[in-house]
Amino acid sequence: MTDRAQHGHHDQHASHGPVTRVGETADETLEHAAHAHDGDHGHGGIGKYLLVFAALCGLTTMSFLTYSSLWPWRDEPHVGWAFMMAVSCTKAMLVVLFFMHVLWEANWKYVLTIPAAMMAIFLAIMLVPDIGLRTRMVSQERALYMPRQSDVRLMEQAGESKLLSDQAH
Amino acid sequence: MNAPAISIPHGHDHHGDDHGHHGHVTLQYQPGLPLSRGKLIMWLFLSTEIMFFAALLGSYVVLRFGAPVWPKPHHVHLSEPIGAFNTFVLICSSVTIVLALEAARANKASLAKIWMVLTLALGALFLGVKGYEYQAKFAHGIYPWSPRSRVFEKPDLYYGSAVRARLGEPAMIDRLKELDDTPDDKLAPDEISARRRLKQIRQMVMSPDQQAFDLAVVADQVMPLPGEGADAHGAHGLNDTFPWLKLPAVIPGGTMWASTYFLLTGFHAIHVLVGLVVFAIMCTWTLNAKRAGGIENAGLYWHFVDLVWIFLFPLLYLF
Repeated sequence: MTDRAQHGHHDQHASHGPVTRVGETADETLEHAAHAHDGDHGHGGIGKYLLVFAALCGLTTMSFLTYSSLWPWRDEPHVGWAFMMAVSCTKAMLVVLFFMHVLWEANWKYVLTIPAAMMAIFLAIMLVPDIGLRTRMVSQERALYMPRQSDVRLMEQAGESKLLSDQAH
Repeated sequence: MNAPAISIPHGHDHHGDDHGHHGHVTLQYQPGLPLSRGKLIMWLFLSTEIMFFAALLGSYVVLRFGAPVWPKPHHVHLSEPIGAFNTFVLICSSVTIVLALEAARANKASLAKIWMVLTLALGALFLGVKGYEYQAKFAHGIYPWSPRSRVFEKPDLYYGSAVRARLGEPAMIDRLKELDDTPDDKLAPDEISARRRLKQIRQMVMSPDQQAFDLAVVADQVMPLPGEGADAHGAHGLNDTFPWLKLPAVIPGGTMWASTYFLLTGFHAIHVLVGLVVFAIMCTWTLNAKRAGGIENAGLYWHFVDLVWIFLFPLLYLF
């Protein structure tokens, strides 16, 4: 059953059932929508929103945990990345469920979100063979001009060498 | 209720009656999904947006982890606290738009207006901070496009010749001569040191038997790569001391980074801007219960923009 149908008894137009009427003006539709929500203060509520807000702020600070000295996996960046993505997914879920009211929506939410999410995931996976693995097999010429980790090390050594500051004395 | 424009069989059991009345049948239109048309269209739009940003974010992740070298956030002058602040601003604006919707549903138009104006202000603050961050990138020669970008991938001969070309520009020759002729007491202590190092760099770049390491030293002097945990603004290159110098700099992996960073944050900023235009229009309305549907749809869009930033922030600033 839909949300609106459940709250139908609060609705002065309840006799028409859970439908958007043909011939109804836009204003009537909006008014109808407003009436439909008159009775449903079971969800939402400012207290709940502020709680979600506090949780989002807390989670944002948690992303910085990977930078602190308390973080035990400093040598293993993948652990930190996985942790930060888990934090992001939690934040995203909170926003979608509470702020976008998806938690209280009827089952149509799956019709729209699941195919889009699947397409999104496949899209990213399909990029891997061509783009993600592009540097596994490159021409000699390209390998020559490609930046490498050794270039970063060279820069760092140059920074540590103090070549120019020594010459001043 | 009005007679429907389209008659659709309703499935009730008085078929005989229907035929008897020659179309004077009161039938109900059953929408495919039980939600208002505006909201349905917004959700359909958002599902295309999910795929749009998934393609952008997916390409970024795949490019980044497939790259042999990717710059650290400090190498490209990203400041995590500023990014975190912007995250906070967007989360706050998500709360204010939700509160605007709640106020409008309760028919408190003036309260809804306050929350709406606050949302508009927070969104504008986000864009302002983003603009400041872009400016910091541009000041370091990091641009998303080629002729303006002064970023080189590695300290090789191409880099050396670019530095040489820049130092050989007629205006630059005059400016360098002016700097050389300036007496020491007219310069700050760090400028005197920088002038001495600049002179040595000019000799190194012009010398015919330069080594790869010399060019790395040149690149390090122009714009050093800050080390792990170092203060992003602590490392001071010649380009920072003399902003007019605008010498090419080396950031390994920096050009691909700039392309993805500006594309992702740019598209996100455009979405923020569109949201701000919608909010600005709504600020001129009386935000009573009749407008609740509109505010809800604008809010759905805004939360989506927030959602994208929730993923952009760690991917761009913390990885």
